[in-house]
Amino acid sequence: MRAAALLLALLAWPAQAAWEWSAPLTVNSVQGAAIFPHLESANRRGVAVSGDTVAVVWEDNRDGSPQCYLATRPAAAAAFQPEIRLSQGDCYEPVVAALGEGRFVAAWEEAGRAHARVLPGGAVLKLSDAEAAQVTLAVAGERMYAAWAEQAGRFRRIVVARLALEGDALSMKTRRPVEAKKPADEQGWPALAVAGDGSVTVAWEDRRSRHTVPMASRSRDGGKTFVPPFRLTDKASGSVDGLGAGSGAMRPTLTAWGGQGVVAVWLDKRNFLSGYDVYAALGGGTRRFGKNIRVQDSFGDNMVQWHATVVGDAGGRLLALWDDARDGTPDVWLSEWDGKAFGDDVAVPAASGPGAQSDPVATLDAVGSLHVVWLDRDEAAGTRIRYVRAVWR
Amino acid sequence: MKRIGMLLAASFLWATTVLADPPPGYPFVGYDAGLAAARASGKPIFLYFGRYGCAWCDHTNKQTFSDASLKKLYTKNYVLVYVDAESGKRLTLPSGERITEAELGVRLQAFATPLFVYLTPQGDKIVQIPGFKTVQDFREYDRYVRGGHYKQKSLLEFLGDKS
Repeated sequence: MRAAALLLALLAWPAQAAWEWSAPLTVNSVQGAAIFPHLESANRRGVAVSGDTVAVVWEDNRDGSPQCYLATRPAAAAAFQPEIRLSQGDCYEPVVAALGEGRFVAAWEEAGRAHARVLPGGAVLKLSDAEAAQVTLAVAGERMYAAWAEQAGRFRRIVVARLALEGDALSMKTRRPVEAKKPADEQGWPALAVAGDGSVTVAWEDRRSRHTVPMASRSRDGGKTFVPPFRLTDKASGSVDGLGAGSGAMRPTLTAWGGQGVVAVWLDKRNFLSGYDVYAALGGGTRRFGKNIRVQDSFGDNMVQWHATVVGDAGGRLLALWDDARDGTPDVWLSEWDGKAFGDDVAVPAASGPGAQSDPVATLDAVGSLHVVWLDRDEAAGTRIRYVRAVWR
Repeated sequence: MKRIGMLLAASFLWATTVLADPPPGYPFVGYDAGLAAARASGKPIFLYFGRYGCAWCDHTNKQTFSDASLKKLYTKNYVLVYVDAESGKRLTLPSGERITEAELGVRLQAFATPLFVYLTPQGDKIVQIPGFKTVQDFREYDRYVRGGHYKQKSLLEFLGDKS
């Protein structure tokens, strides 16, 4: 009887596997009622893991102006080390990517230009000559790319640069707009992913259709040329009874996934009565992006979702995270791809419950552990940036 | 020269079409400029939270904000602010926090556009109202806000009293 029970328990084991969460840590060492940290960035790339070190970047106003900061935590350390300031002038929307062996590359907007720097050490490289914003990064092995929205006449357009690294010195090998022609309307919020086949995919918000549409392009020659842009959304543009131009969709995010795949996740208002929903499209490599997939489950259907992001790894793990207030206050939710669909929404334990927990950024490390960072808002005590790690067991 | 003139006229028409998310002819300004103007003038703020290409915003502009008397009423008595629900343009809240226009939608938990928000001259929210509204609706909201009724009752209570 005991043997049978043991056998049943073993058979049931895979179904019981779940994320096992560490105790949450606070990342920012300075908080206050008038200090406002932000984790917003293009492609929501605010956390990275290099070797056994976690790095988190954000912007806050503790010094009287918006500045960008980076804090790191070696796996053996009990807490994050005091943050360092990345910027001198007004700074917004920093991102970070892992270079391996405890090194990172960070990028940010400062004084209206895009900048990047290797950490620790490394000098700041100015990426853009023209006014630019919303810079993001993607790294895969030796391939390192940055993308940003750069002023080109009346509107901004998306520029992609391939970066090179020698020692701690960053340089640009190529820098190209995705489209050579001047933009017909605003473009912004680029996302990047380097697929297993070496191609780089870039997605962005685009208003050429007179409403906001997530679009994408791809380069197979190291960022020298890009295929003509195509839409990520399968909902057509068009007015309704002669009114408007189409539903809104914004803030595309990308991740490399599996052997050669790339996955996009964005906020989509095609069902306008419930606000933005989280949508995804799978594709990449030699494949176009497929049919749009609604990510959140039915319990989140009538609730507006915000701050969606996607993380994936070469092993095939794929998760979307966002925040919504279906339980009364903003909580951080995640949904994992099960091979056919995104599964039930799961609240991140330390990032849910009373109070406001929002703005998730996340990454998967080399062994598949999930690292999640979010804002824990408290108007009186100040907002904390919180971190937690999860292991699948 | 004539051709250049025609091109300029065409580009102006295109530009006004593209930028026509707030109703044309109204003196809408950005959030920061509007907050500063409201503090200086003591006028309440009428914030139009719209979306680029939004059909219901277009409908409201054509059906409601085309009314000349409504235009006069709101232009005279409010600081008019337009915020783009998906824009990365930055604004500064009365608390001093800098966020994007899109993030303002998060703070307002805006699920639909258009969303109309009435604010005190100091930027404190009085009431927010989503969706298409008629000229008469906006006249009632004006009475609720400028009459100071919001200090005693909710908008629904005020509207209930009126019927």
